[in-house]
Amino acid sequence: MRLRSRFRLTPAWTPYVLILPFLLLFLVFNLFPLLFSLFLAFHSWEPTSGLTAMQFVGFDNFGFALGDEWFWKSLRNTLWMALASGVPQHLVAIPLACFVHSALRRGRDWVVGAFFLPYITSTVAIAILFSALFSTDYGLINLGLQGLRHLPLIGAAFPAEPVDWMGRPEYIKPAISLVVFWRYLGFNMVLYLAALQTIPGDLYEAARLDGAGPLRQFWFITLPSLKPMIFFAVTLSVIGGLQLFEEPFILTGGRGGSDQAGMSTAIYLYRMAFDFNDFGAASAMSWLLFFLVAALTALTNRAFRARGPAS
Amino acid sequence: MGQVSLRGIRKSYGTVDVIKGVDLEVQDGEFMVFVGPSGCGKSTTLRMIAGLESITAGELWIDGDRANQMRPSDRGTAMVFQSYALYPHMTVAENMGFALRMAGVAKPERARQVGRAAEILRITELLARFPRELSGGQRQRVAIGRAIVRKPRVFLFDEPLSNLDASLRVDMRIELTRLHAELGATMIYVTHDQVEAMTMGDRIALFHQGRIAQLGAPLELYNRPATEFVASFLGAPRINLIDRPGAAAPAAHQALWQRLASAAGGSVQRLGVRPEHLQVLPSGEGVPATIVLAEHLGDCSILHVRVDGIGSLLNVKVASTGARGSSGEAIGLAVEGGAVLAFDAQQGRVA
Repeated sequence: MRLRSRFRLTPAWTPYVLILPFLLLFLVFNLFPLLFSLFLAFHSWEPTSGLTAMQFVGFDNFGFALGDEWFWKSLRNTLWMALASGVPQHLVAIPLACFVHSALRRGRDWVVGAFFLPYITSTVAIAILFSALFSTDYGLINLGLQGLRHLPLIGAAFPAEPVDWMGRPEYIKPAISLVVFWRYLGFNMVLYLAALQTIPGDLYEAARLDGAGPLRQFWFITLPSLKPMIFFAVTLSVIGGLQLFEEPFILTGGRGGSDQAGMSTAIYLYRMAFDFNDFGAASAMSWLLFFLVAALTALTNRAFRARGPAS
Repeated sequence: MGQVSLRGIRKSYGTVDVIKGVDLEVQDGEFMVFVGPSGCGKSTTLRMIAGLESITAGELWIDGDRANQMRPSDRGTAMVFQSYALYPHMTVAENMGFALRMAGVAKPERARQVGRAAEILRITELLARFPRELSGGQRQRVAIGRAIVRKPRVFLFDEPLSNLDASLRVDMRIELTRLHAELGATMIYVTHDQVEAMTMGDRIALFHQGRIAQLGAPLELYNRPATEFVASFLGAPRINLIDRPGAAAPAAHQALWQRLASAAGGSVQRLGVRPEHLQVLPSGEGVPATIVLAEHLGDCSILHVRVDGIGSLLNVKVASTGARGSSGEAIGLAVEGGAVLAFDAQQGRVA
């Protein structure tokens, strides 16, 4: 009995014990790597030589990263793909959500589910699927383009030869962007749909009485009401877009594609660490990327700052 | 101008008839109140006039134009919503000027008209603020201002005061009456509050189950209700309804009926007497009764009284009795002459 009561949890300790599993995982897999990468960014280290091989090098790693042609190229690639996949995501998701919100009653959950499905599908499955779709000789996309070529008048605008989507540098970024766009469209749509449902219906009634037709209702009521959610969703897109890794990594076989056209910054710093064994430079790059993400997020925040005094 | 005619107006959702034929002439400059319990169709009728609901059958005429198919913004009506429905991302001035902006009115002209409406409502100092920075009463004023700016022929109010607290409601009631006098426009005002209905309306249309149960001046409805429903809807506390006693009914019930029914013919099934028309006498005089509960409101007292043989308690409203009248006390009841309403088996009033 004595032993038992000694091990009994007191109410004061219970919360800490219950939160311990999360805390341990967070410490080991989040906080430690975070701090360790900061530490590494100022050291030169080749992990194969053991832990003792670390050498303090000051800002050398940052200097190297900023002078590295490929690092800048990866940044340009990342920005290109983040914009090309991110902007259409919202431009399409908002009208799509409005349409689903106002026009669909029955079967709505199925439609939303169908659009959301890519978001919860494994990236590997998606990559395999799109590799097949993008295939030069047998892919459905090229088949479709060839079919369109037979159309009168506009047919000439389509390519005569099958497009080597994943092989030619100029096509890699659009192809990857398309996959990313397709994958996150449903997620954004669900966000906007949720926001649309919170707009009071009588605002639209008041607008109708004030003489605003459907388009002006969208412009003057819907869009401003969606603004907080647009800010949230765009922020997620900015962060997600700049950390782009999985889709290009798998679609380009982990190397960034020909001429590194699909090499995002995240892929490059991954390769810097695990292919080129330079953990110091990789860490420095990851922190530079972090500062870029933070700066762009702050810019987004500025752009969406609410009109008038905050309440 | 602001004349509204409803001719055989009906509204159905699928097979459910909500409005079952409403005929009504609202005169130019009139303050018309739609009153009734929830679900009676008063709001739906208002929304059909506004153009927010389609009209299933019947005709709506506004100033001699058939308005059934007109767009809401072309009807010359402006509506004030229960929830105010202010655009949260626009300032007060932008809210009030939105309709003008939609109509393509130039900015300086907009500012001038908004400024004038703001002066009428004394909200000039609020023009630069956002709705979230306003109190409930201020929001209500802005909503009314937004309606005024449109210079409508007909103002439509959908329970505009029900979100305000009691004292503010009284203020706004007076304010709206003043506004009506000042603008001289036609106003149609929906409420479930009988005090608002009685005090504000030139005429009241009392809705019941998708029809107008009675239409008339407030006191006419109060003093000469067409049906039992009208009699019991208007008046607080509610009118007392006393059934015709059977042969075996207790003596007190019989005695009360005798006192009330002097004028009543054989078709009378039920008598109605307002709480203020019952008088309290010392025990032993009048009809014997017992006080079950006494509510002393200061200026008057409401006594809930049991009379042997009558199922529900009778409400008696008397001038403040001070300490008099506590529960359990035996009293006598008397009735003021000529104040009794008589209803037949179909609940219609016969006398």
